[in-house]
Amino acid sequence: MSNYAKRYAAADAGLRFQDLTYMGNFKGQEPVPDGILGDKMLKQRAKSKVLEKVSASDVLNDEFSVDELNDLNNYLAWNIWDVLVMRATEGVSGMIPRQEYEILAFMHEFYRWPEILRMTTDEIGAQAVMDIGATARREIGIKVNCVHDWCIGAVGFGMGRCGLLALEVIQPQDFVEESNIILKFMQRVLWGKRQDGWILNSQDRYRCLIHEKGVIDKLMTQVEQFEPDSPNHDSFVRFNAAAELLAFLDHYDCRLGLGDTGPYPLPDGKLLIIRDLFTNEEAYHWSDVCDHENVPHCYTLLLVIDPEGMGLDEIRVNDISTTFTRPKNYIPHITGGAVFAREKWNTPMSEVYSVPIKDLDSRLVGIQQATFKLYTKFARMSRRQLITNGMYVYYIDMILPHLRLAGTYEKACTDYNFWEIDQRVSNYYYDITKRGFAQATVPQKIFSGEGYLPFPDGVDRRRSKYFWS
Amino acid sequence: MKVLAEGYNSFDTSKTPVGTVKYLPDPQSVIKLIQSGKLKEHILLVQGGTTTFLAPALSMGAIGVITLSGAPESHLGILSREFQMPCVMTTYLVDSESRYVTGGDNAAHFQEVIKALDGKKVQLSCADRELGRVVLAS
Repeated sequence: MSNYAKRYAAADAGLRFQDLTYMGNFKGQEPVPDGILGDKMLKQRAKSKVLEKVSASDVLNDEFSVDELNDLNNYLAWNIWDVLVMRATEGVSGMIPRQEYEILAFMHEFYRWPEILRMTTDEIGAQAVMDIGATARREIGIKVNCVHDWCIGAVGFGMGRCGLLALEVIQPQDFVEESNIILKFMQRVLWGKRQDGWILNSQDRYRCLIHEKGVIDKLMTQVEQFEPDSPNHDSFVRFNAAAELLAFLDHYDCRLGLGDTGPYPLPDGKLLIIRDLFTNEEAYHWSDVCDHENVPHCYTLLLVIDPEGMGLDEIRVNDISTTFTRPKNYIPHITGGAVFAREKWNTPMSEVYSVPIKDLDSRLVGIQQATFKLYTKFARMSRRQLITNGMYVYYIDMILPHLRLAGTYEKACTDYNFWEIDQRVSNYYYDITKRGFAQATVPQKIFSGEGYLPFPDGVDRRRSKYFWS
Repeated sequence: MKVLAEGYNSFDTSKTPVGTVKYLPDPQSVIKLIQSGKLKEHILLVQGGTTTFLAPALSMGAIGVITLSGAPESHLGILSREFQMPCVMTTYLVDSESRYVTGGDNAAHFQEVIKALDGKKVQLSCADRELGRVVLAS
């Protein structure tokens, strides 16, 4: 028997997925746990209303107050901890220097994104930024999704500012205006996508129910039912895993290649997860091996899960687009599925096609070949090349889908040197490997929450960085 | 049944893969193993809990993995569950006090575990919800 529906009752505090607790900027107060209870505590501690449901007119307002900025800073810091703290145990890759490229990318984003996001808002208007988010309600195989939208604020602002503070090249009162620009862009896209007043899945008990009924009904016509351990179940599961792996690899071992929404309740009591797996991103030069194997931009999978069969206690679609359940293993309880292919990022939805499960094994070969070729290519790259490529994956890809839909990507490249690396960040390359900065200092600041220093009371909202010390 | 090591269980499963532990120190060793055609004879032992290092081995059907760091929430934890491939993570020897420390210098710990497990024929036991075991196979 399942208990997951109890998680949606107002008084329910959810399960704990981990034993650790979070402190952040709340020293002297009760530590904050993960999950629904953590979200409730953060909302209670907020000084403003920005963590409650907000209206379209709130979102269209260009300016956050300092209290709102600090509430968002605190909430995002906890949310980052909530979704990533256990991942922090994974250690070095042995293949891709991820901690190094991540930290450079955070800082680069904080320096470079504000002018590009401001230009984009100036070009199309605030309402159109919200409309970019709304596109995700109608389409599948689209990178305007939880993880990308979350990254704008959580990574570009939160971790970027945290890293620069840790490196002691900025101070808490610096770059207030730029922080506002980043967070406003994030809020607008997320609000437009959800349209229920919340911006993050954690605020809504880890649900991301963005697709309209008509969209889901149309997709569901392609679902094939299967028995556990049947050949079709095995083919579907194998394909899901292999495509997910290639999506991770093409995106340098980060989650930008993956996008879940749901869990959508189905009429028969089952749950639906819609999963985008971005297996070929044309912006990356190394994706040529995916082209050679005819791997499309995205495979979208519909996973129908039986909550009763697995005794589901809680399901979270978190803000980095990843599904976690208790019990953990939902794979044997997938009772139906469908696969769709979107060949290019801008392929019209009318041309997105269904791939029958009987055809998945032949497509799996292309995925396996692309994975091996990509791996062989990466194995021959220098550390510097891998870090540079990984940094581009973060810095470019996290806002690429929004710029593409805004029509400002080309302008960002030509007028704003989007693909150039800021000289300050180029120099930081040599600093981040000293004294364990990348391996220990920044992860500690991020995962303890100690590094997300608040903006000081009374700070001038227009403040950038007026002097160097 | 002699339990050699334990760690986080990526997911609970009745699968009990048996194979000779093979430590993979670098990408070249991963490529070489795949090209040898003997991938499915081995339980793979790796230091990190990330996905990319083992990418082609996972894609080509690895039967089981032991990691010395990482958790079920790591990318490799997620992928092992999606592949339904048993995976014991942040593994430590049951007869040793040495443990992995996040962000610490774990070189000696890694060497101890690698020395104890590499080349041994083992079975992974992952039926428990939280704890995965590495058992000496007869």
